[in-house]
Amino acid sequence: MTVAAAGTPLPANLSADGLLHTFAASLLVLAAGLWALFDATGGGTAYTTETQRRSEVARAAVPVPDFAVVDALGRTGSLREWLAQGDRVWIVDFVYTRCATVCLSLGTVFQQLQAQLAAQGLQNQVGLLSISFDPEQDRPPALADYEKRMRMQAGVWQAVSLVNPEDRRRLLDTFGIMVVPAPLGEFEHNAALHIVTADGQLVRILGLEDGPRAMALARELANASAP
Amino acid sequence: MKTLALVLTMGATALSLPPLRVLIEQSMVWHMLVQMPLLVAAGAAWSTVVGDRLTRWNRFGLTGFMLAQCITAYWMVPAMIDRAVVLPGADAAKLVTLWLAGAALRQGWVQSNLAVQLFFVGYGLPMMAWLGFFLASTDRRLCNAYSLESQLQAGQGLVAMSIALALWWGVSLRRHLATSQATVR
Repeated sequence: MTVAAAGTPLPANLSADGLLHTFAASLLVLAAGLWALFDATGGGTAYTTETQRRSEVARAAVPVPDFAVVDALGRTGSLREWLAQGDRVWIVDFVYTRCATVCLSLGTVFQQLQAQLAAQGLQNQVGLLSISFDPEQDRPPALADYEKRMRMQAGVWQAVSLVNPEDRRRLLDTFGIMVVPAPLGEFEHNAALHIVTADGQLVRILGLEDGPRAMALARELANASAP
Repeated sequence: MKTLALVLTMGATALSLPPLRVLIEQSMVWHMLVQMPLLVAAGAAWSTVVGDRLTRWNRFGLTGFMLAQCITAYWMVPAMIDRAVVLPGADAAKLVTLWLAGAALRQGWVQSNLAVQLFFVGYGLPMMAWLGFFLASTDRRLCNAYSLESQLQAGQGLVAMSIALALWWGVSLRRHLATSQATVR
């Protein structure tokens, strides 16, 4: 290292010229960047679409739009009426009946919930509903086959499909389900337990691992609305 | 350089428009490891056109690095990647800001000294590698828009890219040190 002799100007890259400008600009950029990240992640709490969707619904319930649906026996009706029957709180999931991946774990969770509901005689308070997002393939015979495979008990757990395939987009958007085509004609989608009240409000979304919590919450809501 | 910038920009933008859009919609690799780096490269190539007019605001490349760091961190958040796939507005913002990040990075690079480079490289590349490891090792789908398989490939790709960039930096550093030693002698 050589020491700059008195009188000789410092090398350009060490002079203080512009340092203040630079610090001000850098701080501004950093503040804007942190603000953007903070804003986009719900204050640093939600880094995935799935957590964001769940916290949005938990903050404010989402009304479920009405769709024409059909069940395994070929009976058609409106989804809202379906939900209102028996004044039950529903735990809803989304499936396609050919599914061999995530829906199987969904199916297992629903089977456990079904066993619990039946054992405790709670099927008048809480119902299970599987809605197909593959209306073209899942006609009543496919639904009937699915009900048999999943060992669904009538009156506890039912499966329905959309009557009009063009409703699919709106159904998925309302619930925040994204369906991605996967190899072998399969789909991948975000699977969760959706709690929907008898008056058609989506009030909470819980993960598949949260079966007991979903059950407790559904019962609580059912008791609260009971006369 | 101007022509290169134009070609890179057009290539990256084409990936956001039909018929190529399907590539970034279906594959996280095309989105994160092809389109995003292309945008950064396009901005970087164009930035030579600006010259050193912004030096006053960018001593040691501090502002440039900071801007590039913030923008790239933002587009590494899984929810933002989903948004860019689903919302055209978010996708447009992604095109503009990542291109800007490239320009800022290049402007920062030419102004920076070793300490500043070490700080930002030491921060940015491990961030990229960590995200890559995470994407490749978790069995949770972090982006609703992509399959787990696609996420796994993108994760491995990010790790590979961070290693490649670290090597590139190492080589350019060695070359730089060699030339500066030569001038001292």
